[in-house]
Amino acid sequence: MYALAGLFQVPWSDYRSDLLDALGRTVSYTVVSFVGAVLLGLAVALLRLSRAWPARAVAAVYTEVFKNVPLLAIIFLAYFGLASAGLRLDVFTAGCLSLVVFYAAYLSEIFRSAISGVHAGQTEAGEALGLGRAAIFGQVILPQAVRLALPGTNTMLVDLLKSTSLLVTVSAAELMSEGRLITSATFRALEVYLVISAVYFALCYPLSQLLLLLERKVAAGVPLSPWRRRRVRAARALLADELRGSVGADTERKEAAV
Amino acid sequence: MTEPVITEKTVAPAPTEAVVRIEGLHKSFDGRLVLDDVHLEVGRGRIVSVIGQSGGGKTTLMRCVNLLERPDRGTVEVAGEVVHSGGRTVCRDLPRLRRTVGMVFQRFHLFPHLTAVENVVLAQRRAGVPEQEALERAVALLRRVGVAHRGLAQPEQLSGGEQQRVAIARALALRPEVLLFDEPTSSLDPEATREVLAVMRELAADGMTMMLVTHELPFAREVSDHVVFVDGGRIVEEGAPRDVLDNPAQARTREFLSSYGSPS
Repeated sequence: MYALAGLFQVPWSDYRSDLLDALGRTVSYTVVSFVGAVLLGLAVALLRLSRAWPARAVAAVYTEVFKNVPLLAIIFLAYFGLASAGLRLDVFTAGCLSLVVFYAAYLSEIFRSAISGVHAGQTEAGEALGLGRAAIFGQVILPQAVRLALPGTNTMLVDLLKSTSLLVTVSAAELMSEGRLITSATFRALEVYLVISAVYFALCYPLSQLLLLLERKVAAGVPLSPWRRRRVRAARALLADELRGSVGADTERKEAAV
Repeated sequence: MTEPVITEKTVAPAPTEAVVRIEGLHKSFDGRLVLDDVHLEVGRGRIVSVIGQSGGGKTTLMRCVNLLERPDRGTVEVAGEVVHSGGRTVCRDLPRLRRTVGMVFQRFHLFPHLTAVENVVLAQRRAGVPEQEALERAVALLRRVGVAHRGLAQPEQLSGGEQQRVAIARALALRPEVLLFDEPTSSLDPEATREVLAVMRELAADGMTMMLVTHELPFAREVSDHVVFVDGGRIVEEGAPRDVLDNPAQARTREFLSSYGSPS
């Protein structure tokens, strides 16, 4: 009891609002970078699957470069390197840019294998039904690719959140930077970084559990989008007679199961 | 797309009107000739079965009708319109052509991320059918093929026979003028095969125009108006089922049929 009391001596209530700001910044870095990385990653994956070889080459070079350079080096290049070349980015832009280009490389690999993992017969079935290229991609291939890509993508999201802590090196005012600030004011490194670690854990653990739940729902084919829900509900009404007798309400049972 | 009822034959069959006409078709893959000067006609309301060994070109021939495969030479005509000629796709609107021609695959190829009923709705919506009408049509079709009670199941929860019947409903949803069946029962067990053949028999009775690649010779004999035996990319023999299946003129046909057990 005495040991614990000795451990926690930082006046945390004084740092409440600073910590909350820092937490908000960590979340902003994560959300903005992740959205950017998904979009860029998808674009790179599509280039990689393109029929034109120059497009494939550009995408392959991009992926290999950013997969084989440390994130910290990319952060320094974006913030200090570009600044010395005359392109001065503010820390938020530089930080997000670094995370986007780095994680887009990994995500593009996940997306590429997911898209090419969808059975070729699916494209044919779409063609035979008179669907255009955009509809085949958007309504047949992509939803199935999402199913395949979700586990890897979710891992990357949690990893990205944790990697925002590297931005401490450019004083990005996120959680880790705030931790460093409090440490230099109080000289309580163990206590401060334990608390900061606990905050990261409290962010990441529920997030990964939530994503796991989402993975299971998507894998089970549970309709998540409002328009699919509406369609399935309308179909259930039309099929009421048939469904009553049989144990055919599979989607419902699945929903209950996951 | 204006017919009021799905189950009814829409146009009175004129005996000579061809829904599919194929002339002088050639196709090769990597220098190997798969189709060699093939001529074929499927009249409205007629059922044409294509039989022959695996790798003989039957499936390729069928896939040329909706241009999943592009022939190197020859002409493909669908519903009175030349869609492919002399190695060039003449049809400007491939999606429209493919809505005229329904196709059922050996391996079903249902969309696994959607429920059965959504599988039947998807293409209708893209073709401009209003949501409620598309749903009602999908439900009616699922009833017709006997899987309405499984309408909200995912494909992976369905048996093979159920999946193939949903696939038939999906192909029918666009009210095609001709249905192509590519070995529809080849990956099914005997029970599921019976279910699927029963549905196809009903379609035949309703006057659906069908082209059928099959190994089910008794079924081909029962429903077909015309049987075509393809071997080595050529049509070796064709005619009424009685003639081709029971009384073949060509030695090659007899050889093929005997490998399937004696023709009854």
